[in-house]
Amino acid sequence: MNETLKKELQSTFNGVEIVDIHETRTAIIVPSVSVPVVLRKLKESGLNRLSLLSCVDWIGDGKFEIVYILTSYMQNDDEYTPNDEWHVFLKTKIPRDHASLKSAIDIFENAEPYEREIHELFGVHFDGHPRLTPLFLTQKYEVPPFRKDFDTRQYVKDTYDAIPMVED
Amino acid sequence: MAHKYSLHAVYFCTGCGIIEIPPVITARWDAERFGVIPVPTPRQGNLFMITGYVSVKTLEAIIRSYEQMPDPKYTVGFGSCPINGGMYWDSYNTIKHLDKYIPVDGWIAGCMPRPEAVFIGVTHLWTLIDKGKADGYLRYKKNYASYRKNQEALFGELGWPPLYELPNWKKEETISKR
Repeated sequence: MNETLKKELQSTFNGVEIVDIHETRTAIIVPSVSVPVVLRKLKESGLNRLSLLSCVDWIGDGKFEIVYILTSYMQNDDEYTPNDEWHVFLKTKIPRDHASLKSAIDIFENAEPYEREIHELFGVHFDGHPRLTPLFLTQKYEVPPFRKDFDTRQYVKDTYDAIPMVED
Repeated sequence: MAHKYSLHAVYFCTGCGIIEIPPVITARWDAERFGVIPVPTPRQGNLFMITGYVSVKTLEAIIRSYEQMPDPKYTVGFGSCPINGGMYWDSYNTIKHLDKYIPVDGWIAGCMPRPEAVFIGVTHLWTLIDKGKADGYLRYKKNYASYRKNQEALFGELGWPPLYELPNWKKEETISKR
């Protein structure tokens, strides 16, 4: 990762931790309040594509970890070298109870379906999202089904196994 | 019955199993040797292969497609997942037993079944048709109230009217729900 950008990030924002996973892959761990500013800064620094927005349920710590995976589109294909390919994982932890985070749609427009998906499957609320309606699910679930405290086996027992076989 | 040599398979993709169907129906394995050709719409088909896991959302489309097929029609569950859930046995959104919701005439087990298994299944279906044992469409008519009850247990209210006439007790229950 670009050394100057690294220093700039660490000097500008409080509590930024940078871990180099691989030559071209870097994890940046930030507090949830500074996610929008850091995202904007990274976008301006060349990481111009949000390729995925993901969520991890750390039930033991009582936290959700939201992961923004950013990559860079090459400006000029002729000068491309594999080292130019650059992945950044921006991670932030939020409390599990009343989980809420500011929406990133104003920075990366394609965050819209990802945020809807995380809202539906983990129950994380995104402030400023225009429509947090269900994306895939048609059934109603008491606990969002991707949370670790969703008991899939009990749910299967109560829902699908409770339906009887058709007698001939 | 003569139509056993001209099975028209509904080209309906449910799960990962559909990846086996293009090689089965095209030059490499050539299902037309067995009289099986794909048709684009359920209204022209008489063989319905449920290829792979069935999510709740897909099941609704399966029921609607199945009810539109003309009689006699045959359903074959393809792969482990429609049989008992397979690797999705504890999944929150796949139904486990397909035969609770529509009648099934035969199963092709495996994950994935190879094209050869499809042809074994087809030739076995011929035997069942000859013996009159591939009677899923008759069972559907006979036990329609039970099938409809199971479908409603999963979906709540179904968005379409009953295919067959329901017994009186069932009819009242359906009307009072609406």
